[in-house]
Amino acid sequence: MALEYIGDILRLTVLGGLGAAGILTVLIWKRNLATKVTYLRFVAQAVAFAALFYVFTLSIPLLYFFIFVFAITIVLGRLYCGWLCPFGFIMDLEIMFRKAFGIRYRSLPERLNKILHKSRYVIAAIFLALPIYLWILNPPQNINFAVAMARLLAGPFRPYTVLIDPMIPAIVPWTTSAVNVAHVNFTYPYVQDVIFWAGKNLGPALALAFIGVTLVGSFFFRRLWCRFCPTGASLAVVNRFKGFRWAPLLHIEKDEEKCTKCGVCKRVCQAQVAEVYEQKGGKIATSMCMLCLRCAEMCPYAEALKLKFGNKTVFKSRNWLEPSTTE
Amino acid sequence: MKNEKIEKKYAPEIQPKEIEELRNTIKTSSEKIIAENIERMKKADPNRPQAMKYFDEISNLFGQRQEELSAEKAKGKKIVGYMCLFAPTELILAADAIPVRVNSGWYDTTKIGDRVVPVEVCPVIRSTIGAQMIGLSPFLELSDALISVLTCDGMTKMGEILSDYKPIWEMNIPRVKDAAHSLRFWDDEILNMKKQLEAFTGNKITRKSLKAAIEQSQKATRVFRRLQDLRKGNPIIMGRDAMLVNQSYLWDDKERWTQKATALCDELEKRAERKDWVCPTDTPRVLVTGTPMFWPDSWKVPNLVEEANPKGIIVADELCSGERILNDPVGVDEWTMDDMLNAIGERYLMASTCPCFTSSDGNEDRINWLLNKVKESNVQGVIYYVTRGCMLYAMEYTRIKKALDKINIPMYYLDTEYTREDVGQMKTRVEAFLEMLTARVDI
Repeated sequence: MALEYIGDILRLTVLGGLGAAGILTVLIWKRNLATKVTYLRFVAQAVAFAALFYVFTLSIPLLYFFIFVFAITIVLGRLYCGWLCPFGFIMDLEIMFRKAFGIRYRSLPERLNKILHKSRYVIAAIFLALPIYLWILNPPQNINFAVAMARLLAGPFRPYTVLIDPMIPAIVPWTTSAVNVAHVNFTYPYVQDVIFWAGKNLGPALALAFIGVTLVGSFFFRRLWCRFCPTGASLAVVNRFKGFRWAPLLHIEKDEEKCTKCGVCKRVCQAQVAEVYEQKGGKIATSMCMLCLRCAEMCPYAEALKLKFGNKTVFKSRNWLEPSTTE
Repeated sequence: MKNEKIEKKYAPEIQPKEIEELRNTIKTSSEKIIAENIERMKKADPNRPQAMKYFDEISNLFGQRQEELSAEKAKGKKIVGYMCLFAPTELILAADAIPVRVNSGWYDTTKIGDRVVPVEVCPVIRSTIGAQMIGLSPFLELSDALISVLTCDGMTKMGEILSDYKPIWEMNIPRVKDAAHSLRFWDDEILNMKKQLEAFTGNKITRKSLKAAIEQSQKATRVFRRLQDLRKGNPIIMGRDAMLVNQSYLWDDKERWTQKATALCDELEKRAERKDWVCPTDTPRVLVTGTPMFWPDSWKVPNLVEEANPKGIIVADELCSGERILNDPVGVDEWTMDDMLNAIGERYLMASTCPCFTSSDGNEDRINWLLNKVKESNVQGVIYYVTRGCMLYAMEYTRIKKALDKINIPMYYLDTEYTREDVGQMKTRVEAFLEMLTARVDI
């Protein structure tokens, strides 16, 4: 047992070391300030992808991930979505793929984007209400904690885990995956849930349709799924309450006087967030923002956009025309 | 000339002999004024940076650059003139043509322009029309087509009047920039301009050539910003010198300008290390805003401010003949053709702080940008320079006065004309304002 733990810690340490090495390489190598953060983010995403794949082989109940993701989202905003989420990583890889072909992204009409934004709450509500309904239909006999945990992973509580599905990497070591090729199990976020609900006949067809829509959709529309992903909804709900004005601690702040409203921030935003452009200064607390920092990176006016943790400035926009000399 | 057969809609008939005479007189006097201006600039700062030598040479409108442009034209390159900063120079560069801004700063040609338009019209417009009528401006003469952007009233009609002489491409600019449909409209204009340029020059604007053009202008912006940052500290360069450097970008070769300006910045940085300031550090720091000041004759106000007693120094300006030329870079996200075109569109429409835009919040972009400049450059007083007939700037005066009052920065409304007659009177006014600023510094 002890040896196994040491092994786990060692493996995670190696991964962390790889990540740190990658980040350092980008910091030292990358001279172009206009793409530096993008490369950093890519390294972080790749390492997180590998780390999550590894973590999922451990026997940690999905519930803990569920709590972890929601807790950090309330405190840090959607940092998780922009920098760690494996599903987001897949969509970012698609963006790279698309760029290689020289195809330009399409943009959703602003109104539709806002409707999608609101529909997240509906999706989240359905996912949350369903298990309760199933509980009533088939009340559990045993309220033992271990059993309840097991039921969170399978049975009537299974739908809860749909909220963390984007965390699941494309390849999982589970046997109950969507596609099994030569003992390697391929899966895709939400697909297991679709199969779970739709049964054996309709399931695979629906699953394939979902894969098609999200893969093809986010090829043309940047980060399409993120616009109605229920994970982001948690933050928005919390922000409605007065006592939670401090949330998220990590946020973008705009200095209106330094802004000429050139509109770069609006155009480069992967989730088509208009608030950064429209809001007149101050804290930008929209749950659409995934803190990918592309806007702050591309803003040509020094210190107009800042990433703040509480009152501390973590990153700020600068004259990206200057090649970096200090790092 | 095929244009001669067409009946002229605006331009009056002038005898070729008279044109010749007028051109020669004004050209001779203008050459003198250019030399005199440079002489005055040298005198104001005996220890002028070595790198300014190049800009002195290039600022002779009838000298080196004219010959270069003629040589390029003989080789078959097209020269595209533009009258407003909204003309997308990146596209012109990408079409392998040469962009030149053709607005005129000659005082004497206003009187010739008066034959077409009444004196109530902005003198920049009258002067440019006059320069075209007698063929004075080498850049206007050499340009094969003109891009006219319909910004202020003068510019709108000037394009029409100049169409008697040259092919004019008009770009219709939306006056409210804060709406998505305005940007769509402007993007269409940019696309149309691209097609027009391609048809005119015969060169296709490719992804590669446009990328190269954008990167070139980004480099220029980088140097420009470096120069402005240097001016933010203690006075390291006279305001007039920096203004001349900025303005010469309008007609100079872009690549060469970038090199020479870099050399200037390097030299200034070395001077800053030595703490070699051009004037005492308590000299009142002035910002100039308002009607554009064009080389050579419109150098009146900068000359007055920096030669007055007590002396002031121009540390920043908010002019479309000055810092607005290069302040904003084209920010491209993905290097596809569409994205580059959109980025160009946004850079020209959205980032501009021209007073021709209006919004319900009182053109807040310009106010904010001005306040930011005042704070960053540590400005002590603002000179609001307006020529008679410049409606947009004149009408925004009260708004800006109120905004500056809030942060306790005095502003002086300096109204003038394209004339040398009021120099003495203006000298008194400028000196009184600078005197007041000095008194404030003492307190």
